[in-house]
Amino acid sequence: MGLLTLSPDIPWLSLVWLSMVVSAIIIALLPAAQQEAMRWVGTLFAFVSLLLALLLFLAYDPQQAGFQFVERLEWMPQLGISYQLGVDGVSLPMLLLNGIVIFTGALMSWNIEQRTKEYWVLLLLLTTGVYGVFVALDLFLFFVFYELAVLPMYLLIGVWGSTRKEYGAMKLTLFLMAGSALVIIGMLAIYFGSGLRSFDMLLLARHVSLAGELQRIFFPMIFVGFAILAGMFPFHTWSPTGHVAAPTAVSMLHAGVLMKLGAYGCIRAAMWLMPAGAATWLPLIAILTLLNVVYGATIAMAQRDAKYIIGYSSVSHMGLVVMGLAAGTQIALTGAILQMFAHGIMTALFFAVVGRMIYERTHTRQLPELGGLRKVMPFAAWMFILSGLSSMGMPGLAGFWAEFTIFIGVWEKYPLVALIAALSIPITGAYILRAVWAVFDGEVKNPAFLQLPKLTWQEYSGAILLAVILIGVGLYPAILTELIATGVRPVVDQISGIIIAGR
Amino acid sequence: MFQITDIPRILPEILLLFLALIVLGSDIFEKWGRTAAAQLERARSSASLTAIGLGLIFIITLLQSGYIPGTVVAPEASTTNPLLSYLLGVVRNLQVGGPGGAPIVGAFATDDLTMIARLLLIGAAFLTSLLCLDDLPTAHPAEFYAMILFATTGMCLMVGAQELIMAYLAIELTSIPLYLLTGYVRSGSRSAEAGMKYFLFGALSSAILLYGMSLTYGFVASNLGGIAVSGNLTQFERIAELARDGGASTPLLTLAMLLILAGLGYKLAIVPFHGWAPDVYQAAPTPITAFISTASKAAGFLLLLRLLSVAFPESVGSATLGATNLGGWTAILALLALLTLLVGNLAALPQSNTKRLLAWSSVAHAGFLLLGLVAWAAPERFDREQGSVALIYYLIVYTLTNLGAFGALVAMSRAGSGVEITDLNGLARRNLPLATMLTICVLSLAGIPPLGGFFAKFYIFMVGWQSGAYWLVIVALVMTVVSLSYYLRLLRAMFIEAPSSGEPLRIEPATMTTLIITTAGLVVLGLFPNLILGLIGRVQTIAGL
Repeated sequence: MGLLTLSPDIPWLSLVWLSMVVSAIIIALLPAAQQEAMRWVGTLFAFVSLLLALLLFLAYDPQQAGFQFVERLEWMPQLGISYQLGVDGVSLPMLLLNGIVIFTGALMSWNIEQRTKEYWVLLLLLTTGVYGVFVALDLFLFFVFYELAVLPMYLLIGVWGSTRKEYGAMKLTLFLMAGSALVIIGMLAIYFGSGLRSFDMLLLARHVSLAGELQRIFFPMIFVGFAILAGMFPFHTWSPTGHVAAPTAVSMLHAGVLMKLGAYGCIRAAMWLMPAGAATWLPLIAILTLLNVVYGATIAMAQRDAKYIIGYSSVSHMGLVVMGLAAGTQIALTGAILQMFAHGIMTALFFAVVGRMIYERTHTRQLPELGGLRKVMPFAAWMFILSGLSSMGMPGLAGFWAEFTIFIGVWEKYPLVALIAALSIPITGAYILRAVWAVFDGEVKNPAFLQLPKLTWQEYSGAILLAVILIGVGLYPAILTELIATGVRPVVDQISGIIIAGR
Repeated sequence: MFQITDIPRILPEILLLFLALIVLGSDIFEKWGRTAAAQLERARSSASLTAIGLGLIFIITLLQSGYIPGTVVAPEASTTNPLLSYLLGVVRNLQVGGPGGAPIVGAFATDDLTMIARLLLIGAAFLTSLLCLDDLPTAHPAEFYAMILFATTGMCLMVGAQELIMAYLAIELTSIPLYLLTGYVRSGSRSAEAGMKYFLFGALSSAILLYGMSLTYGFVASNLGGIAVSGNLTQFERIAELARDGGASTPLLTLAMLLILAGLGYKLAIVPFHGWAPDVYQAAPTPITAFISTASKAAGFLLLLRLLSVAFPESVGSATLGATNLGGWTAILALLALLTLLVGNLAALPQSNTKRLLAWSSVAHAGFLLLGLVAWAAPERFDREQGSVALIYYLIVYTLTNLGAFGALVAMSRAGSGVEITDLNGLARRNLPLATMLTICVLSLAGIPPLGGFFAKFYIFMVGWQSGAYWLVIVALVMTVVSLSYYLRLLRAMFIEAPSSGEPLRIEPATMTTLIITTAGLVVLGLFPNLILGLIGRVQTIAGL
């Protein structure tokens, strides 16, 4: 916003991810019995990182645009690998999103009693990786952080998860690692094919010197490699099982931020660095995402487990994100990034309600077994309805602006795709209303529900924070869109430049 | 001619030999009681003598190498303090024998490659001896430790060998003690069987190696064409020189090269010459498994690097798919790498014994290592040298990783637990530090950042890609994902499964030291590979031309 100036002598971006490493180390050194202290340390540091992200958000100057707060240290100069960080209009909202989700996720993790230390250390390591990806400007560094974000997931789901957790964890890890393998191939192609022998993304984007022919071969590898994490059809199957199996905070982080990591990788590493490949392949990808959007929503309709409904709705909504990316226009890309933010907040709220508030108390997520919970926990019901409305695209909430912008953008490019994708809107409405009806409406089905423990202050504050942001961005989306528009412009320019030259 | 000034240049080998003799000799002065306490004391004194000796030799070698900034003594440096001045003189004289100079009697090169390899091998032997400190052999401890030292001497000679006979002798000096060490635990039939198997395979491979060497010699001698013999015809450089004059693609020389590759392939457990490896690795005493799978493999690969790049530079060939000159050694190695990657990783999948799983994983890692040699297919000298750097970096990281992983198994079996994967169940709840360290090692094997194993793999993929072997890099990447599924099984056992008993596991201090050194090394080398990359980069100046 350019509202304040930060001292250029302090490595702000490094501080963001280092704060997570520091807290992980502190927690690792605490004696195992000090569970309360671990929770406080984890939550406080998560809050600190959120504050840092907020500071950066306020200090970023959208007039000047481009990458700001750039830090650069040589890491392995002989191989063209450097430690280079920077944020622009695309990564800054993501940084903020991650800050919000980890802070609320930390608040929702206070009920972890079993092996608390390992849980917090892994959770914070995961967040380190996510923060790192959003600030990295060196492809190698980007990849290191990316992998760091993926692996702790395996243990987090495997140890603290529920419902086929080992299967879900293994499937998720193998899918994502297969994606990484594809990404490495693409990285090597860029590194050697461009003749620059450098992983510096600024340099690589400034002179896109990889031959168009090679771009067309390797673009799908990098794009798909990352899109697996974004849940793109037909590589989405890991995502609902993973979400369902994960403990609440991890589901929140996972659906809220990690899937965005994939979409972010698509735009940052694939589309930005290989515009010619993007110009060739994006139409096909747009058609594939159609399956995500409509098919994901349809499957969500048929689920009985509340978490599966949200899992498949994530597939559907992330499909919209990738569809926006695939359209490749200024409006569509802006919408896609906004959708990443809006969906992140919304899904976090969903999982907080279903995973933490309901499942931890009732120990079931099956729709037929639940019912009438509005009478027992009205707060949870309102929160669920709020995020449901955002998911359906109700004006006044963040989700509306995001989906609206995407549809406008896609309509410009592929009207038919936009038309078919619009089918998902009524379907989304249907499954959300069905879930709301089954979980909250009617009489209390199980008398035991009346004795459920009250919500804790952590649950209240976390959910309220998410809800406020959801409404705030819904009322004043320009707070983000102006910023995002500056961030996506270079990517759009590169791709449209190729398309015009192609004619 | 061997000169008296050459002695400092082979000081580490001399010291290793002396240490071995001292360990053997000092045993005479120990109490040879029949009681358990007396035997323990006797074993422990040999073990600690070995460990301390190896530690000292490592430090001396490090000083001699001058690789640590600030330890290089300038020729004109002087001081008035008599003691300091004496020490200064000692270090200066040591460093005169540092890296550099022509090979000793044309047979033993003391260049940076040898120096770095010595540090790696002696370091590995030191960590192995620390592992043995707790895992005591029952009978004749002095022989056990002396064998480790003899094998280490052999390995150091192997990496410096610049001549066929020297190479062969060094290989035998390494292998024979290793056969004995494998079968050292005579109480169990498995260990003896493994020792026998290792010996038979080893003898066969030595024979094949010798055929290859004698064919090479025959080729060189016949190419000389009646010119008066000058210099040693078995020197690597001479072979290259004469091959250049006489046409490199002679079928005879290619056959010789193939036989040498096969012979060394056995030692390195490269598919299809890997048959002995899983059984031997599983049945040998665990510290010895760690030693065989790291030091012996490292020495073998470095010998292969020197042999192929110096003696057969003309028949490098190409590893690109669809290339015409497939007769060269990079093409053969690429094929072997493909087989090794596929068989090693796929065979590791169904294993239920941790030691055997790690054995297959080390077979698979040989496939990755071969990529570093395949890098020689690149036309640019710079890229070839990068291949050597990547290979050595990988070897260093791999040595640390495997020593750590097997070290954790040593700790477990010392605590009375088995080494089946199910025995790892719930390790995180029985001993969290041990589980964390084993996890770091396993993840490094799997190539997860920010650990050393990741950068090692990435680097080797880079050099492999640049050499044109795209297909091989892609297969290697796919196999990395496959490997993850069996490495994750170990993680799952340690963290997710419920422990069979709630008792905490106790780790002996020496094993703990090894584990801490290796895991710290993995993290540090993973975050800052530049700490050693610059050093390894010096190898370029010699590895060949």
